[in-house]
Amino acid sequence: MSEKVKVTNLVKTFGDNEVLKGINLTVQNNEVVVIIGPSGSGKSTLLRNLNKLEEPTSGSIVIDNVDIARNDVDINSVRENIGMVFQHFNLFKNLSVGENIMLAPVELKKETKDEAEAQAKKLLETVGLQEKFDATVQSLSGGQQQRVAIARALAMNPDIMLFDEPTSALDPEMVGDVLEVMKKLAKQGMTMVVVTHEMGFAKEVADRVVFVDDGQILEEGTPEQIFEHPKNERLQDFLNKILNV
Amino acid sequence: MKQKVLTAFGLLVAFATILFCLGLPGSKAQAKTYQIGTDVTYPPFEFANKQNKYVGIDIDIMKAIAKEEGFKVNVKPVGFNAAVQSVQSGQLDGIIAGMTITPQRKDKFDFGTPYYKTGAVMAVKKGSDITSLKQLKGKKVALKTGTAAADYANSLKKKYGFKTVTFDDSDNMYQDVTTGNSVACFDDQPVLQYGIKHGLKLQIATKPANQGWYGFGVKKGTHKDLVKKFNAGLKKIQANGTYDKIVGKYLGTSSNSKVKGKTFVIGTDVTFPPFEFANKNNKYVGIDMDLIRAIANEQGFKVKIKALGFNAAVQAVESGQADGVIAGMSITNERKAQFDFSKPYFNSGVVMAVASNSKIHKLSELKGKRVAVKTGTSGADYANSIKKKYGFKVVTFDDSNNMYQDVSTGNSVACFEDHPVMQYAIKQGTKLKIVTKPALNAPYGFAVKKGHNKALLQAFNTGLEDLKASGTYDTIKAKYLGADEIKTAAKTSGNSAEDRTFIGLIKQNKGALLSGLQETLWLTVVSIFFATIFGVLVGLMGVVPNKFSQGTSTTLIYLFRGMPLLVLALFIYTGIPSLTGQKIPAFVAGVVTLTFNEGAYIAAFVKGGIEAVDPGQMEASRSLGLPFGKSMRKIILPQGIRIMVPSFINQFIITLKDTSILSIIGLLELTQTGKIIIARNLEGFKVWTIVAAIYLIIITLLTWLSNWVQRRTKV
Ligand SMILES: Nc1ncnc2c1ncn2[C@@H]1O[C@H](COP(=O)(O)OP(=O)(O)OP(=O)(O)O)[C@@H](O)[C@H]1O
Ligand SMILES: [Mg+2]
Repeated sequence: MSEKVKVTNLVKTFGDNEVLKGINLTVQNNEVVVIIGPSGSGKSTLLRNLNKLEEPTSGSIVIDNVDIARNDVDINSVRENIGMVFQHFNLFKNLSVGENIMLAPVELKKETKDEAEAQAKKLLETVGLQEKFDATVQSLSGGQQQRVAIARALAMNPDIMLFDEPTSALDPEMVGDVLEVMKKLAKQGMTMVVVTHEMGFAKEVADRVVFVDDGQILEEGTPEQIFEHPKNERLQDFLNKILNV
Repeated sequence: MKQKVLTAFGLLVAFATILFCLGLPGSKAQAKTYQIGTDVTYPPFEFANKQNKYVGIDIDIMKAIAKEEGFKVNVKPVGFNAAVQSVQSGQLDGIIAGMTITPQRKDKFDFGTPYYKTGAVMAVKKGSDITSLKQLKGKKVALKTGTAAADYANSLKKKYGFKTVTFDDSDNMYQDVTTGNSVACFDDQPVLQYGIKHGLKLQIATKPANQGWYGFGVKKGTHKDLVKKFNAGLKKIQANGTYDKIVGKYLGTSSNSKVKGKTFVIGTDVTFPPFEFANKNNKYVGIDMDLIRAIANEQGFKVKIKALGFNAAVQAVESGQADGVIAGMSITNERKAQFDFSKPYFNSGVVMAVASNSKIHKLSELKGKRVAVKTGTSGADYANSIKKKYGFKVVTFDDSNNMYQDVSTGNSVACFEDHPVMQYAIKQGTKLKIVTKPALNAPYGFAVKKGHNKALLQAFNTGLEDLKASGTYDTIKAKYLGADEIKTAAKTSGNSAEDRTFIGLIKQNKGALLSGLQETLWLTVVSIFFATIFGVLVGLMGVVPNKFSQGTSTTLIYLFRGMPLLVLALFIYTGIPSLTGQKIPAFVAGVVTLTFNEGAYIAAFVKGGIEAVDPGQMEASRSLGLPFGKSMRKIILPQGIRIMVPSFINQFIITLKDTSILSIIGLLELTQTGKIIIARNLEGFKVWTIVAAIYLIIITLLTWLSNWVQRRTKV
C-alpha cells in the first residue's frame, strides 16, 4: 500500500474563524476513508481543501508527491484527477444529461466527441441510467441526478473521488441506489474520501473512519474500532445521538 | 473712328506677337518653358506696375503654379484677342487672361480647373442716376471685345434697347463712360471693383449677373500635360494659402476670400417666429434664416442651420460646436463678454402681453401675480429687472409656446416677449394681446465666440451692408413683417390653409414624423448595440475574481447610472469640445451618452444575472478541472443570459424612450420633430398625442417581439 494523499498540519481560517486547526490525515491508494463528525465541525471544508475549492491557510496537502497547497501548481490539471460529488449534485442546468458528462473530457481535449459519447453512455449504464442520455437535468429525480453527477466525475477518469454528503439531500427511497453505485466503485478499488452520516455504509465499505470535531481529528480507526469501541468521549456522544435518533 | 484705330492697333499687336513667337525657333525645343499669353491691361488680373513689371492675379497665379510644379513660364502681355488667336495658331502654349469659361470657347479651348469666380456687372459714371438696365433705353453702352460681360450685354441689347460700342481694352472702355460718351459699361465684377478702389470714377449699379468662372486655356486637344500641371499646381496653392495671399494682395484681404466655399454651422432657436421657425414643409424660414442664407450666398460661403434651441445654440457657440448663432439675440453688454457681435441687423424691444380677455394693461397691475418668461431672452431680463419694483413672480419656460400657453390658460397673467415675435404670434392665433409700448430697445445681432471666426463676422457685416444696399434686406423683412406692421405674416406662413384635424396633421407632417421616427430608431439601435458591448464588458469585469477590475466595474456603474441622462448628454455635447477643442456631431454625442448611461444599467444586470447563477455550478465546473473562463462561457453565461433576457428587453424599450431626451442637443428625433411642428402650428395637444401614439405603437411592437424572444429562450 502506498500513500495517495498526505495532509500535514492543515489549517484553514475564514477571517478570524479557525475552521481547521491542524489536520493530519493520510489516505492510501485504493483506500476508502469515511469522515464523520457533527455539523459545522469542518468536514466539508477539509474535503474542499483537497481539491483547492478552498485555499488552504497553511500546512501541506501532498497528492501523488505534489504539494497542491503551494501556489505554483496548475490546479486545473490536479483537479482533472480528483472527482468531486456534491451534496446538491450541481448538475449543469443548461446542459442535457449526456452533455453534462461529456463536457469536461471534450473541452479539456481528453477525448473526441465520439469517444466521450461512448464513454458517457457506458458510465450511465454503470450508474443504471442508460436511457437518460438525452434527458434534461430538470426531468430527473434527486437520486438520478446524483448518480449522473457521479458519472460526470468519473468521466475524467480520476484516481480519487471526494463525496460530500452525497445522500443527505435525497428522499430516503433514493439513498440506496446512490450508495449502491458508491459501493460498486469502492469494490473496483477507487480511492475514496466520503463525508457521510450513513453509518451503515461506513461500516460496510470504509477501510478507515475518521472522526472530526471542532476542526480537529479526534479519533480514527477501522469501522469496528470507531463504532464498537469508541474511546473519545465526544465521539461516544456523537454516536449516541446519531444511532439513537 | 476711335474704335477702328483701336481695332487696328489690336491686330497689329497680334501680328507682332506672331512674328515674335515665330522668331523664337527654340521655344518648342525648350520643353520646360511655356509661352503663356495674357492681356495688355486687365487689372487686377494683369497690368504693368510702377516699375513697368507685369503683375496681377493671373500672372502671380501662373508663376506660383509653375514654381510649384517645376516648369518655367514666359507670360506675355500680347492683348486678349491676340493671345486667343496665338494659342489657336499654336504660337502660344496657353492663355491666362481673365478668360471666362463659356461653351463657345470650349469648342476651341481646353480649360484647366476654374480658378476664379466672377460675374458681369454694369457700371455707370459716379453720381449717375442710372441704377437699372431699364434706364439704358436708347443709350450707348461701352463694351470690351470678346469678354463674357460683353456677351452678356449683347444678349440684353434688344430687350432693353441700347446701343453698344466696343473697345479692345478696359481703360478705353472706362474712359468712354467717364467722359460721358457712353452711359454705362459692362465688365467683370473684380475688375471694376479693383478699378474703383484705385480711383476709377465709376460706380457699380447692378448685382453680378451671368456668373461664371475664369479658366486657364490651351488649344483644344493639345498640351494635356500643361493643363494637368496647372490643375495640380492650383490645387496646391489653394491648399497652402498662396492663392488666397495672391488674391488678397490685389483685392485686399476681404473677409470674403477667407470664408469663401467654407461651411459654417449656425445655431438658432427651435422656434422664434418670425425670426426662425419651420414652415409647412418643415424647412427653417424666418427673418434670421433668410438673412443668413442671403448673406452666405452673397459672400460665397455655406451655412448649416442647426435649430438647437436658444440656450443650446448659445452654448454650442461657446463650446465651438457651432460657429455662430443667429437667434433673435439681443446685443447686451453681458453677452459681449462672451461673444463678438455683428452690426445690429434688427431693432427690437420688449413688450408685455396678456390673455386677450384680460383686464391687465399696466405693469403696476402685476403685483402679486405670476408672469411667464422664456429663459435667456431679453424679455426675461427685463421682467427680472422690474419684478421687485412691481412685485410679481416670474416662472421660466424653455420655449415660447409653453410660455404663451401659460398665459392663455391663466396660469400666468402676462408674459414679456420681443415685440415682433409677440406680434407675429398673435397674428398666428395666439390668444394674447400686447398692452405696453416696447421697452428696452435692443438691437439683435449675429454672434460668434469672442475672438473666434472673425472672418465670418466680417463677412456677415459686409454681406448685411450689401443686402441693405441692394434692397434684399427690406424684401426679407417685409416678407415676414409687412412694410411697417405685420400684414403679410399670416400669408407667408400659410397657417390658415393647414388642415388642423388629426388626419390632416398626420398627412401634412408625415415626412417629418417619419424621419424623426427613423432617427429615433436608428439612435436606439446604434446605442443599444454599443451599450450592450460596454455593459457586458463592465458587467463581466464585475464578476472576475480580481479586486481592481471589480472596483473599476463598480465605479463605472455608479458613475454613469448616477448621472442624469440630460446632464450627461449636455456634458458630452458641450463639455468635451470645450476641453478638447474638437467638435462632436450631435448624433455621435447622443450615441456616446446612451452607450454610457444604458450601458451602466446593462452592466448592472449582467453582473446581477451572473451572480444569480447558483455558485454550485461554478464549483462543479471548476472541480472537473475546467478553467474559470471556460466555466464562465460554457456554464455560467448561458444560464445568466437566460436570467438577463427580460431586463435586456426592458432596457431596449427604456433606451428608445430615452432618445427623446437627446432633443436637448438638437437631434432631430421624434420628440424634437414634435416640438418643431408645434412651434409652427401651435397644435400642442394634437401633435403630442400623435407623437405619443407613435412611441406607444413602436413600444407595443417591441414588447410583442420581446415576449416572443422570451418564450423561445425559456427551457
Ligand atoms: N466560505 C466560508 N466563509 C466563512 N465561513 C465558512 C465558509 N465555509 C464554511 N465556513 C464555516 O466553517 C465552519 C465549518 O463548516 P463546514 O461546512 O466545513 O462544516 P461541516 O462539518 O461540513 O458541517 P455540515 O455537516 O453541516 O455540512 C462553519 O462554522 C462554517 O460557518
Ligand atoms: Mg458539510
